[in-house]
Amino acid sequence: MKKIIFLLLALTIMSWSSALQTQREIYKTILGAIFPNKHTIYIWLDDPNKRDIFSDIKNIKIVTNRENADILIVYHTFDINATDKKIFADGYLVFKHYKEKIIGGFYWQKGRPNLVFIRKNLEDFNISLPKNLKEFIEDNF
Amino acid sequence: MNSINRLYIVLILTIFISILYLYHSVSDIHDKMVNNIEKIFILKAGQFAKNIDEEIKNHIDKDLYKTLKENPGLREVLEHTFSVVITPSFKYIYVLYKDSNGKYRYLLDGSKEDKGEFNQKLNVNEEKWDQAYNTLKPQIILQKNIDGLWITYLKPIIYDNRVEGVIAIDFSTNLSIYISKLIAPIQNVFLYIFAAIVVLLSVLLYQVILNIKTKKESITDSLTQVYNRTFLRDFLKKIHPEKYQIAMLDIDFFKKINDNYGHKAGDYILSEVAIILKKIVREKDIIIRFGGEEFLIFFYKLPNDEDIAASISHRIREELENSKFVYDDTSIKVTTSIGVMLHPQRCKSVSDAIKKADQLLYIAKKEGRNKVVLEYDAIKAISTETNSIYEVKEALDDNRIICHYQPIINLDSCEVVKYEALVRMVSKDGTIIYPNNFLDAISGTNVYNDLTKRVIDIAFETIKKEKVSLSINLNLSDILNNMIYKIVIDEIVQNKEVAKWLTIELLEYEQLNTDILKQRLYEIKSYGIKIALDDFGSGYSNFAIFQSYPIDILKIDGSLIKEIDSSKVSYTIIESIALFSRKLEIETVAEFIHNDKVLKIIKDLGISYGQGFYIGEPVEKIVERKNETIDA
Repeated sequence: MKKIIFLLLALTIMSWSSALQTQREIYKTILGAIFPNKHTIYIWLDDPNKRDIFSDIKNIKIVTNRENADILIVYHTFDINATDKKIFADGYLVFKHYKEKIIGGFYWQKGRPNLVFIRKNLEDFNISLPKNLKEFIEDNF
Repeated sequence: MNSINRLYIVLILTIFISILYLYHSVSDIHDKMVNNIEKIFILKAGQFAKNIDEEIKNHIDKDLYKTLKENPGLREVLEHTFSVVITPSFKYIYVLYKDSNGKYRYLLDGSKEDKGEFNQKLNVNEEKWDQAYNTLKPQIILQKNIDGLWITYLKPIIYDNRVEGVIAIDFSTNLSIYISKLIAPIQNVFLYIFAAIVVLLSVLLYQVILNIKTKKESITDSLTQVYNRTFLRDFLKKIHPEKYQIAMLDIDFFKKINDNYGHKAGDYILSEVAIILKKIVREKDIIIRFGGEEFLIFFYKLPNDEDIAASISHRIREELENSKFVYDDTSIKVTTSIGVMLHPQRCKSVSDAIKKADQLLYIAKKEGRNKVVLEYDAIKAISTETNSIYEVKEALDDNRIICHYQPIINLDSCEVVKYEALVRMVSKDGTIIYPNNFLDAISGTNVYNDLTKRVIDIAFETIKKEKVSLSINLNLSDILNNMIYKIVIDEIVQNKEVAKWLTIELLEYEQLNTDILKQRLYEIKSYGIKIALDDFGSGYSNFAIFQSYPIDILKIDGSLIKEIDSSKVSYTIIESIALFSRKLEIETVAEFIHNDKVLKIIKDLGISYGQGFYIGEPVEKIVERKNETIDA
């Protein structure tokens, strides 16, 4: 509960806090919500420069082989096609590109952090988000 | 504080306040400039928003969402129009609407970067946006950070008194930061000056504290941590006697504590007594260490509280009596004598009141110590005995203590062989005062000790000057008193070359001590001094005394001599004493020879020496009578 309150607060007063710390908290909350019962969540990143965001989050391990990951966090790779893995986009363009298959995305627009989950894809992956994240679910994009 | 110091402080404070004022003024100017910049930008944003609103309404006269949704071309035209006013400062211009779920979504976006698409959700500060929707009035969202100022201006688009969208203009400026950077050096200068003054004031404050501390130390007794006489000197100048009652307190037999347990034990007792005093007295009372073991207490007197000093003094006496003082595992009993002056205002001065309190203390000591003597208890006594104490003290200071000399003759040769030195006090008006009028009053006091020393001094000076034998009177208790005995021995040692000319006549020998007395008498005799027993034959006279003590001379009691011609008993006693003395080869002196008949009887009894008014009265000068003889 505390994490969710922090997430909402962070979305509102983003500019007052460290962007890195905010992203870390947001991902911690998001990944915890997507994998509520998993002790260790394995993630794959397409940008090694973003490892700092995740390296300090408890219960999250970064893997280099996409096949070993529970979820793919995509920043700028546009050619991930045949995969049954869950994808989460970071960045508006990549979000738009994979909007048919990703479970959600996080991006900055006009200096404001935006979090979006796509209802259809969540249902496809049989993911039920906690109540306080439901307001970020969009039917269409 | 002198006027120069005051001037310095006023000057420093003026500079301090001026710097503060200047610093505040510069900060105020900075804030006003930043506020004005904000206002200018907000005004400009408001004008842009107004124009955009008009432009939208020129193209759409109702149903904003529906019209834009159905007309992508119009969206493009309007967005292009908005983009014309985009500058590095006015970065984003866009229009959002609130959907049925309360989420804000794009209608139009004229921004050149981070461009949103129609109906795309944008996370915004919902509270302010809702206010724009609800109040129909423009809203401003203002944020400041290290990069500068970031403002969102919101203007509702109203159709038929209903908000159908909100124009948002995001703009930012770093002008305020630029102004801050410009003003910072000026502020820093003031800050440095301010800091320098704070340091200066701190140093001054430290000096003042140091000064106060030093002053406090100078007026505080280091052992007992109560005030000392330096404080008293200043205090006496300021005091209102009617506001205080004065007590003089002395620790009983303090010298014995020092002698028996050492000076460290004495210091310990003094500091402990001071702690107890401080505990008992009230905050407004003042304790001063007046002398070695003397404390002076000024009790602050509330109106109609005449008993305060008396009640606290009694408590002090009781508390000290009941307190346990343990030094080096030895329990030391301490009592105190206190004299309380209840009405200092009735005295000529506070110093006089202190003197009176001291007199009351002497009475307390004379009456057995461990006692509180109050002013009204002792008025009579003061007028007699304690006045005597001070008169003797003054007489000693003014050299008005003298000796008269009464000749003692050899009854065979009728030559003067010796003089008895008899102490006299000369009053201020020249009257001769006899010792029976003041000795009792000063007994047991330091004044008595001083008087003893003075008499021995005079005796030795006279011996040296007149080259005669002299006898002086001492009580047996004087020999047994450590302090007086030390005075006697010191005087003898200082004058040992003429000591053999001195005879000490012992009085009041009813309570004979044992070995100490014997040892001391032998020590005295070792200097060639003769020991005489005075007033023998009456009272506690005991022949056994000659068994133990080195007695050279026996002076027959005057009351027996006076009656020798009329009382057979007296005659027989004197006859026995004379026989006894002859057998033991002890010289005998008959006192009180007051007529020729008595002189003849004495001579017939074989008594060697005589003294009395018939032979010679005590006189001030020896020289006149040195060679006189009595025609027997």
